[in-house]
Amino acid sequence: MADQTAQTHEQWLEEMDRKAREKQQSFIANIAGRLGRETAKPPAGHPYKGAPSFWQGFEWPMEERIERFSANFRSAGGHVVRVPDLAAASAFIAEKAKEMSAHYIVRQQEDALEALGLEEALPGCDVSVWNDDPGKPWKALAAQADFGVVLADHAAAYTGSLAVLSDKDKGRSVSLLPTVLMALLPVDRLVTRLGEILMPLDADGREKLPAGVHFISGPSRSADIENDLTIGVHGPGVVYVIVIG
Amino acid sequence: MSGNHSAATVKERAELALNDEFLRKAVRFTTERLRNGKKNASEEHGNWDEWRERGRQIRLHTIAHLDYYLNLFADNARANGAYVHFADTAAEAVQISLAIAARKQAKTVVKSKSMVTEELHLNHHLGTIGVEAIETDLGEYIIQLAGETPSHIIIPAIHKNRYQIADLLSAEAGERLEPDTSVLAGFVRKKLREKFLEADIGMTGCNFAIAESGSIVLFENEGNARMVSTVPKTQITLMGMERIIPSFTDLEVMATLLPRSATGQKLTVYMSAISGPRRIEDADGPDEMHIIIIDNGRSLQLGDPEFQELLNCIRCGACLNACPVYRHIGGHAYGGTYSGPIGAVLTPALKQNVAEWDDIANASSLCGACYEACPVKIPLHDMLVYLRRRKVESGHGNKWEGAGMKGFGGVMGSSRLMRGVLAIGRLGQGLVARDGEIRLSIGPLKEWSRYRVTPVLAKESFRQRWGTIERELREGLSELDPAMKKRMEAMKNARAGEGGHGHG
Repeated sequence: MADQTAQTHEQWLEEMDRKAREKQQSFIANIAGRLGRETAKPPAGHPYKGAPSFWQGFEWPMEERIERFSANFRSAGGHVVRVPDLAAASAFIAEKAKEMSAHYIVRQQEDALEALGLEEALPGCDVSVWNDDPGKPWKALAAQADFGVVLADHAAAYTGSLAVLSDKDKGRSVSLLPTVLMALLPVDRLVTRLGEILMPLDADGREKLPAGVHFISGPSRSADIENDLTIGVHGPGVVYVIVIG
Repeated sequence: MSGNHSAATVKERAELALNDEFLRKAVRFTTERLRNGKKNASEEHGNWDEWRERGRQIRLHTIAHLDYYLNLFADNARANGAYVHFADTAAEAVQISLAIAARKQAKTVVKSKSMVTEELHLNHHLGTIGVEAIETDLGEYIIQLAGETPSHIIIPAIHKNRYQIADLLSAEAGERLEPDTSVLAGFVRKKLREKFLEADIGMTGCNFAIAESGSIVLFENEGNARMVSTVPKTQITLMGMERIIPSFTDLEVMATLLPRSATGQKLTVYMSAISGPRRIEDADGPDEMHIIIIDNGRSLQLGDPEFQELLNCIRCGACLNACPVYRHIGGHAYGGTYSGPIGAVLTPALKQNVAEWDDIANASSLCGACYEACPVKIPLHDMLVYLRRRKVESGHGNKWEGAGMKGFGGVMGSSRLMRGVLAIGRLGQGLVARDGEIRLSIGPLKEWSRYRVTPVLAKESFRQRWGTIERELREGLSELDPAMKKRMEAMKNARAGEGGHGHG
């Protein structure tokens, strides 16, 4: 143990990695042997990739998508409102903030959310912009927030799911730690099937993937105590989707 | 291992469960709820069998090329910045986890639900080096406080009522909490929030690992898996080596099958694909991510034509909810990490000790409801029969049962012996039969008569009557009773006029 502490952390990680790669050889060789070959070889093809073919072309017209998305999201315990533009979205968030006496709001650093002008709409509220100052303890700040405001990257009507992707301006915590989640969904980001969001992740390739891709289909829930549905166990217990357009 | 239930055999553990009125009702209610949810969700979705077949094909393909896909996953996960480790045994996986915890000088580890860590008894091992492991799934947290193990793969605290839960949580809170679900859940939210924020390590399981992108995918409803993989500085993900699927495109099929089969949801509240630690400029997510890929008996199934499909399992729990045996005895009676039909097959398969776990294979009605429920069509009921066969072949069968079967075969194979035995039986039953029933529960009838009634042997056996029956049939055909013959001819004439479409 003594020489271990003398190692830098990088050296220790390198050592762990070297051992792991060595182990990988015998681990994979055992599997290959069991499967009746000497070394791992790529398969000739993957004939049953993805959803059945009858499913691939399935698409709802936009109005039906909005209707189905809303119905699914509501049946999971979430709320959905539809507004014509960003100004109306801003007014809705401000109204809810007053109604629920929200004091502290954290939002992603995105142009559309900037355009909401929440600071002006809610003079009594402290509105933080995710990671505008890398020195701040952002996770702890998000945990204290009453409202988290995000812009959904995608949504799927069939399952009633939002998708949010992380990057330096879009914290994973903002859709997770605050008590209430407000998610803006521009209507052109709403597709029918989950596959329409998942398949482009393959096509874009590994390098383009963010660290976190999160699908959200309602408020946090649990039925672990006597099958009694509890909302907001760890994640936000109140979730609003504001469909814009 | 099995919480408070340390009885040696399935039967003894089941007795404990059957005596617990609340447990029996809770298990029945929960499994009914989940089973109906699944039924409705799969019917509403439509073409369920085609989706099942698709899921099965994807799993078959991946497992058949597991060596290739695991290498591909490891390469891509490393390219994402994660450290990927391999462990042949539970002990090796524990050793790697402890090495990381020690290096990080961790005080606490927050965990989201992971059946693999239950396999490893990882919480216990972390405790031995002074690291506190905290389960954060509401149900898992409750049973951790109780010092027990999960009794259902999806609803782990199915066997606890709200009063028991209130007692456990009150002790933790240091004040009296009302046995009200929202009060109890509210306490857990607050308590665990602190734990998430101060924990050194977050530990997750893995529902699927995507080979082409090196991502791990987590399905959950509470948000604790997201917490565990977002807040602490170090993340450790433990995954069984068979969790792989090739691509995000394939994930659509799994995302269609898993939540619907588990709880009847169209999708769990959260489905997260995590690809490595946080990017350098990100303000949340772990700085360091370790993925430990575990064999622990899984490779024993590879290349075994009878059991390889076990590795297709996506851990949805639908077979538990469908199983008439599980619904009566609950999860603890199975005595291993995994319960229900999948546990009855998986536990002996992973441990390769058929003898020790043999009684689990017998705790099954072989009705096939598990196969019908399985979203990837694993023939569990066939596997239970293979297990029983292997047990007998390996000399672990019941000697008396073997001798009995041999004797039965001898008697049944000889008409003379059979006749003799039946004659003795008819004489003997006179002593114990009342009103055509035998309710006596001694000797060979003991187990049977505890719950059922044995009918007496008929006064005249089918074999004895056969001569008469056969003669009647033969003679009856050539020489009908004149009155009957007349009636039949009349009917025939009447039919001729109707064109033959009458069905009475």
